[in-house]
Amino acid sequence: MTDARKPILNRSIGRRSLLLGAGSLGAAGLIAPRLGMPYIGNAAAAEPIKIGMIWAKTGNIVDQAEYLAQGGMLALEQRNNMLLGRPAELVWLDEPNPQGAQQNAERLVGEHKVAGIVGGALSSFALAISSVANKAKVPYVAANAAAGEITGKSCNKYTFRLQPPVEVHTRVLAPYCKDIGKKWYLLTAAYAFGQDIKRSFEEYAKANGITIVGADEVPVSTPDYSSFILKIRAAKPDVVIGGLSASDLTTYLKQWNELGMRGKIPFAEISVGNTDLWGVGPEAADGLYTLTWYYKNPNNPPEEQAMAAAYEKKYNRPAADKAWMGWLGMKSLLDSIEAAKSTDSAAIVAALEKWHVKRGDLDTGYRPFDHQMVNRLLVAGIKPKITDKWDYFDIKAELPKTQADIDAAFGSQADSACKMTG
Amino acid sequence: MLDMILSQTVNGLVLGFLYVLIAVGLSIIFGLLGIVNFAHGAFFALGAYFALVLAREFGWWAALLAPLLTGAVGMIVEVVLIRHLYGKEPLLGLILTFALALLIEAILRMVFGGAPLPFSAPRFLSGFVEYGPILLTKYRLFVLGVTVAALVAFWAFLTYTPFGRIIRAGSRDAEMVGLLGINLPVVFSFVFGIGCLLAGLAGLLAAPLWTVTPSMAASAIMPAFVVVTIGGLGSYAGAIIAGLLVGITTAMTIQFQPEWAGAAMYVLMAAILLLRPRGLFGEKWERFE
Repeated sequence: MTDARKPILNRSIGRRSLLLGAGSLGAAGLIAPRLGMPYIGNAAAAEPIKIGMIWAKTGNIVDQAEYLAQGGMLALEQRNNMLLGRPAELVWLDEPNPQGAQQNAERLVGEHKVAGIVGGALSSFALAISSVANKAKVPYVAANAAAGEITGKSCNKYTFRLQPPVEVHTRVLAPYCKDIGKKWYLLTAAYAFGQDIKRSFEEYAKANGITIVGADEVPVSTPDYSSFILKIRAAKPDVVIGGLSASDLTTYLKQWNELGMRGKIPFAEISVGNTDLWGVGPEAADGLYTLTWYYKNPNNPPEEQAMAAAYEKKYNRPAADKAWMGWLGMKSLLDSIEAAKSTDSAAIVAALEKWHVKRGDLDTGYRPFDHQMVNRLLVAGIKPKITDKWDYFDIKAELPKTQADIDAAFGSQADSACKMTG
Repeated sequence: MLDMILSQTVNGLVLGFLYVLIAVGLSIIFGLLGIVNFAHGAFFALGAYFALVLAREFGWWAALLAPLLTGAVGMIVEVVLIRHLYGKEPLLGLILTFALALLIEAILRMVFGGAPLPFSAPRFLSGFVEYGPILLTKYRLFVLGVTVAALVAFWAFLTYTPFGRIIRAGSRDAEMVGLLGINLPVVFSFVFGIGCLLAGLAGLLAAPLWTVTPSMAASAIMPAFVVVTIGGLGSYAGAIIAGLLVGITTAMTIQFQPEWAGAAMYVLMAAILLLRPRGLFGEKWERFE
C-alpha cells in the first residue's frame, strides 16, 4: 500500500457523519417516491425481473447475433419493459466460445439471478448454455442453434429449442438436391452443426442411392476457400451441399463466384440466415436453401407482420430471419413467465410446455417430450435478378405440408433420443 | 493427383502473397519501431471499410484511396498514442495496441453494424484463366501483381532513398540519428503510417474475397503474426518467404487432410521455431536484447 493511500483508507467515520448519512438515506426513502424514483424505499417489491441474453458480441457469428439480440429486445419493448406488473430488463452477455458461453450463463444465474435465458447463436454455445441451465434449473430457450443433440440425446427439462434440428431441415431440402443429381459433395463446418449436416445428408444419400464424391470438414473462420473449391471442381459433383454458418458461408459464396463456379455446379445448404446472403452481394449470391422465416412471406401471421414493421421502423432495415427467431424465442419465454404468474423455474417450464401461437393452420409450440418447437420451413432459391438489396429469395415451398408430414419430419417420441429426467 | 498437387501449389503461392501483404506491414512496424502492433488486423478491416464506402459513393477507382486514408489514421494514432511507448516495456505496446484493436472494431460496429456488407471486385477483373489443371482468377493475379509491386517499391524506397536510409539508421540507433539533427519523431510517424497503409492495402484487396465485417480483423491478425514469427520478427525477406510457405502448407493440407487446415500454419510455426527460435531470418538486434 502506498503512503498516499493510507490516510484515505484509515480515515474513521465520525458519529456525526454516520448520523448525517443515515438521516440522508431515510429522507431519500421518504422523498424519492414523490420524485418518481420508486425503487429506494420499496426495493424488494419493485426490483426488476431480469432476463438473460447470451448472443455473440465478437467472432464469426456476430452478424447473426446482432439481429437475434435486437429481436429479443423488441419482444420486451412490446411489453413496455414490464413483466408481472414489475419492470423487466435484459442482461446481454457475450459468447466468445463455448467456454465463454458457459461462464457467462453461470454469471447470469449466479450474479444477475435471471428468471430465464435466451441465446446460443452456435450449436456448440447452445449446448454449453444448456448444461448450465439444467444444472442451475433455469429455463433456457435456444433460439438459433440447429444441432440435433440439443433436443436429442443432450435434452433436459429446462432447455427449449426454437430452430428445427438439422435432420428436419435435411428431410425438407435433400429431395430437392436429389432431383438435381445423384453425385454430391459435402463441405461442412468442423463443429456440431456442420457435423450434423454431414451425418444426416450421408444417411439420406445412403438410403437413396446417392454417391458422395467428396466430403471436407472446414475449420471455423476459414478465410480462404479456393483450395476447397479446386477440390470440388476436380470431383465434378452434381450438387454441393454446404454446412457453413454465418460469415463463413458469406466468404465461401464470394469465392465460389470469384472462381467462376456460380451457376456451373448448384449449391444447397440448410438453415441459412438472410444476413449471410446480404453480405455476399447480388452479383455473387447463389444457391438453394431452407429458411426458418422470411420477412416477405405473405403467409406470416399478422402479429409477425406487425413485428417486422416495428423492427423496420426502429432499425431502418427489414427484419432478418434471425430477428424473428430472437423475437419469438424471447416472446415465448416472456409469455410463459406471465402465464406462470411467477418467476419460479418449474412454473415457467410448465408454462413453456403449454405455450403455443397460431401460425396459419399450425399450432406452433414446444413439444413436451423433447421441448422442440414444431414449425414449417421455407425452401427458397436466389432470385435470378436481385433489384432490392434486401430481397434475395424466391420462396419455392413451405414444408412439410400436412400435419402427418410434419410429424414424420420431426419424428415421434419413440424415435427421439431425448430421454428427459427430473 | 499430380494435376491437383500442381494446381494446389500454384493456388497456395497466390494465397501466400495475400498473407505476405497482410503480414508485411506488421513486420515493418516491429522491425523499425519495435512495436508489436496488435491493432494491425483492425487497420486491415479499416482499409476494407474505407474501400467499401469510397467505392459505393464514388466508384471503384476511388477505393484506391483507402490505403492512404488508413495510413493517415495510422499516423494520427502514432502521434497520439504509440509515440509515448518507444523505449518502454514491450508489453505496454502490446496492451495499448490490443485495446486500440478493440476500439477500432467497436467503432466499425457502431457505424456500419455487425452484419456483413457486400463488396465485389470491379468487373474488368472478373473472370479467370486456365492452364491445364491450374485455375487462377484475374482478381487473384491482380492481387499478386499489386503485392509484388508494393514490396519492390518499399524495398527500393528503404534501400535507395536518403529518407529510407534515415529510417534504417534510426531503427538501429535512434539516439545517434537524433544527434545528427534529424527529426526522428516525424520519421517514426511516417513508418507507422506506411505499416498501416500496407494493412489498408491488404484490406482493400481482401474485401472482394473475404466477408466485410468488423470481425474480419481477427481473421487477418493471426495469419499475420504466424507469418511474421516464422519469417523472423522484423525481417522483410522473412515475411515474404514465410507468407508463401504458409500459403502452400495450407493449400496442401486442404488437399490431403482438410480438417487440419486451420491448424496447419500453427504446426508449421511450431516446427520452425523448434529448429530456429528466432524464425527463418530473425536477427539478434541489440536494441531489443
